[in-house]
Amino acid sequence: MDLTVRERILEAAYECVARYGLGKTTVEDVTRAARVSRATVYRYFPGGRDQLVSEVIAWETGRFFGRLAEAVAGAGDFAGLLEEALVFAHRAIEEHEVLQKILETEPERLLPQLTVQSERILVFIRGFLLPYLERERLRPGVDPGEAADYVSRMLLSFTASPGRWDLTDRAQVAELVRTELVAGILEPAETV
Amino acid sequence: MPTVDLRATAADQRILAATRRCIARWGVAKTTLDDVAGEAGCSRATIYRLFPGGKDNLLTALAQREVAALFDALRLRLDGVDDLEELVVTGITEAARRLAGHDALQFLLAHEPEVLLPRICFHQMDSVLRTISEFAAPYLAPHVGPDEASRAAEWLARMVLSYTACPAPWVDVRDEESVRRLVRAFVLPGLVQQATLRG
Repeated sequence: MDLTVRERILEAAYECVARYGLGKTTVEDVTRAARVSRATVYRYFPGGRDQLVSEVIAWETGRFFGRLAEAVAGAGDFAGLLEEALVFAHRAIEEHEVLQKILETEPERLLPQLTVQSERILVFIRGFLLPYLERERLRPGVDPGEAADYVSRMLLSFTASPGRWDLTDRAQVAELVRTELVAGILEPAETV
Repeated sequence: MPTVDLRATAADQRILAATRRCIARWGVAKTTLDDVAGEAGCSRATIYRLFPGGKDNLLTALAQREVAALFDALRLRLDGVDDLEELVVTGITEAARRLAGHDALQFLLAHEPEVLLPRICFHQMDSVLRTISEFAAPYLAPHVGPDEASRAAEWLARMVLSYTACPAPWVDVRDEESVRRLVRAFVLPGLVQQATLRG
């Protein structure tokens, strides 16, 4: 695969984080794994270790959402899209070995970053949802931007912490979407 | 009824209040038991006697006290409110105001997120949600039924936490009219839908 130097460094940094953790990964580790010189790493990441660690988190977060967008691309309508997104994202987080290891052993190094970035994450999800929402028949008075923001927040919340919902159970996910996510947004389907 | 040593109770409340003031000023990492003792006007030995285990236990006890105080404040506002919309709007607004006005909590969010977040994110959030839901579900049960009440309570907690942690430009969760708009738009239709699905 033809990666840019920057991507090759990030890829290597991700491998190092997977192996050593966020706290113990050093610029030397990344230099060795990426087979580039120290000077090259510093040219792309002048902030050194700290910048590398924070950018590798942003990079993997972006890749996560890329996989999510691919997984839900075939959904028929907005409610279906949200169901697919909840099922996929919840499973992907549970099965994300590097994320789970960090949450277990050094959550204090990751969570502030995810929180600082949560505005960026919300912006990203909103932008993704909006075109789908604009194709739907909305209830009178609903602002698509506000609705997309509300749904983005709830998606993040349920994905990280499902609480009383079992997100591996399709029937529960469908009920959750119809009640807590879209009931106030979409015009109710015609009842037969 | 067990007898309560009033002086001991007063002393432990004084120590917890002092701990909160120290955290609001310096954060968790820089607060020592000597600081707390000085602030509370007692000896380190008294702290160890009332909170065996030292700083960790003191922090756990403080967190429990602050959650209990939040629930007490909410009870004062919510007891006797019969209307579902009023319950939801008042509950969200009051909770959001208290979180925003909590000096120690705000210090931690701003300066020591690494201390706080591991206790309230991902799986830890599930137990935070459960605690809130146990408190709030009885208020909702008469309106949506006992089964739906727990989930609905968690839902409202998610809203308070999300809009408090990461404010949106179009809603201020500390403002009653703003919350009413939010609740009418997204929450009440969902609660009605839940009731319909359950028949």
